[in-house]
Amino acid sequence: MIGLKRALALLGALGAVLTVLGVLIALNTEHIDGKIPLAFFSAAIMGSYIGVGLSAWWRRPRNRIGALMTAAGFSAFFLPLSAANSSLFYTIGATLGSIGYIIVAHLVLAFPTGRLETASQRRLIAASYALGIGAPLLFLMFEGDCDCDSVDGPRSAFLITESPGFIRILDPVVGLLGVTLTALMVRVLVRRWRAATPHARRALAPVLWTGTLLVATLLFTLAFDALGDMTDEAESVVDLVGIIVVTAVPYAYVLGLARSRSWRAEAMTDVVAGLGGARSDLQAVLTDALGDPSLEVAYWLPERGVHVGADGLPVLLPAADDPLRSATDVRRDGVLVGALIHDRALCDEPDILAAVANGAALALDHQRLDAELRARVEELRESRQRILEVGLAERRRLERDLHDGAQQRLVSLSLQLGLVTQQLDRGGTDAARELLDGARGEARAALEDLRELARGIHPAVLTDRGLGPALEALADRATVPVDLQGLPDERLPWAVEAAAYFVVSESLTNVAKYARATHAEVRVGREHGWALVEVADDGVGGADPSSGSGLRGLADRLAALDGRLEIESAEGRGTTVRARIPCR
Amino acid sequence: MPSTVLIVDDHPSFRATARMLLECDGWIVVGEAATGADAVAQARRLHPELILLDVNLPDTDGFAVATELRSGAAAIVLVSSREARDFGPRVTACGAAGFVSKADLSGDALRSLVPA
Repeated sequence: MIGLKRALALLGALGAVLTVLGVLIALNTEHIDGKIPLAFFSAAIMGSYIGVGLSAWWRRPRNRIGALMTAAGFSAFFLPLSAANSSLFYTIGATLGSIGYIIVAHLVLAFPTGRLETASQRRLIAASYALGIGAPLLFLMFEGDCDCDSVDGPRSAFLITESPGFIRILDPVVGLLGVTLTALMVRVLVRRWRAATPHARRALAPVLWTGTLLVATLLFTLAFDALGDMTDEAESVVDLVGIIVVTAVPYAYVLGLARSRSWRAEAMTDVVAGLGGARSDLQAVLTDALGDPSLEVAYWLPERGVHVGADGLPVLLPAADDPLRSATDVRRDGVLVGALIHDRALCDEPDILAAVANGAALALDHQRLDAELRARVEELRESRQRILEVGLAERRRLERDLHDGAQQRLVSLSLQLGLVTQQLDRGGTDAARELLDGARGEARAALEDLRELARGIHPAVLTDRGLGPALEALADRATVPVDLQGLPDERLPWAVEAAAYFVVSESLTNVAKYARATHAEVRVGREHGWALVEVADDGVGGADPSSGSGLRGLADRLAALDGRLEIESAEGRGTTVRARIPCR
Repeated sequence: MPSTVLIVDDHPSFRATARMLLECDGWIVVGEAATGADAVAQARRLHPELILLDVNLPDTDGFAVATELRSGAAAIVLVSSREARDFGPRVTACGAAGFVSKADLSGDALRSLVPA
């Protein structure tokens, strides 16, 4: 930063020299009456703008307000320069005399960041610069006499030809353009004020109000100029007001900074007092401290990779380019614990946001446990609901399977026995024997159907002999060769055995239905009190756990036991289903 | 008394047994259909006097088929392996002459539902 410091010091020295030079020119003018006021005001404006501007530039090098203010201070040199007796210096001063006002307007519009926010604001300021330099230039090219208090003042050095007719047309056109542009500036300032949060207004107020007053004075002057009938006395009063207001802008800026600093201190006091006191509602405390009624507190749950609100429901943070809302991360000892979601206008005050976020970190981290608990309760409520639905759907499927399978076979059996009776009544014993053979086949098929169904509900081999033999039976019935590894010899808790069995059973059903695999592998293991079950195939992959009810149902069953289900299924890389179930 | 019958059911084993049972009782089975759409088509082509119509069909249900055919000349008897009370007033509402549980199916049962 040595480079910046040296450059700013050089600018300061240059500013001092020019200020003195301006005073000397003003005191020696031969064509302006008020030499002393001119010298005084030009020194006051240059001194305050350059002084405050350089100091702001030094303190916040990335904020352009300091640079703009310094530039405005240097531009004020053209005011006394236009009082120079030399025709060339007078002409340069008169050409660039309005530019200082426009830089100040630019500064006010760009406050507090120093950047114009929208393309239309940038166009507005660009047009103002063009008019502020172009219009005087045109006047000086077609009108030789100077607009001054003595008859033999300096003449325009840029004069091409005297053209009173052109000047008569130019005068109202420039006036009208000036009025339009300044009116648009007033509109921007009013909108800025309306959009600001209550606390931000306190910091913005001095500059915005001075700026609005300045632009309004300009508007007034321009409007009267365009009409062309202001008395000399009125003109000098308006000029005086304008000069006073212009001089006030740097001091308004300093006042705004001070108020903003006091707001920061106040906001922190609010946070500390609010959290230390009886109020435990973090959101209300922060809403008051930042003056943003739309503020939301989001708690970060790293285990699940989501933010949740105080109610435990997931919260989506606003996107980086959201025009209305913004989020500020809250960290405790460098670890993310949550975020504040707030009005984007608060981003103009990053220091305050950071201070409040810091102050709230501890409380937020503590409340995060509550939010996490609520999130877990909410998750349980949802999975309980889904388990209920899965149970009902299973019952419906059972009813349908019974109806389509065993029941139909028993109906046929009953009808065939009726036919046997008929045949026996008529003495047709051969026909009756044939019918009885058919009936016996139906009875066998009905038995097989019932056995299959019972196995789907809860396999007897699992109940009687445990997970190992039950998985062997599953592998025997599978449509592809299945390798079994690490089958447990001992019995596990029955709920764990059942969950593990259904993970394998559902996975092998999926292998048969979708995977187009040639081979599958089932691995079972125990690790630190967890049962691990893994089913991998060499099929097409691409399984989506959220699309089918089967995998979703498995995940819910496991969640009920505090277990977890993971699915790896990259396209073309096979599918691996991995379940971890705590063995309590 | 009706003597020609169309059997509509999606289970082939039931159709075969029902055909045998009814033919032994002197009925003439003029056709068999496995779906609702096929049942409507065959009923319009074959003009059976009675249609034995399963309630659970793969493409629609027996009530819809009965409603569609109610203006025809055929008497309709709904069958199912469920009980009559599972369906309640829907049986008469669709214009069917009656309901018989599959296990109770016989020529006499049909005759009692559709008197001459």
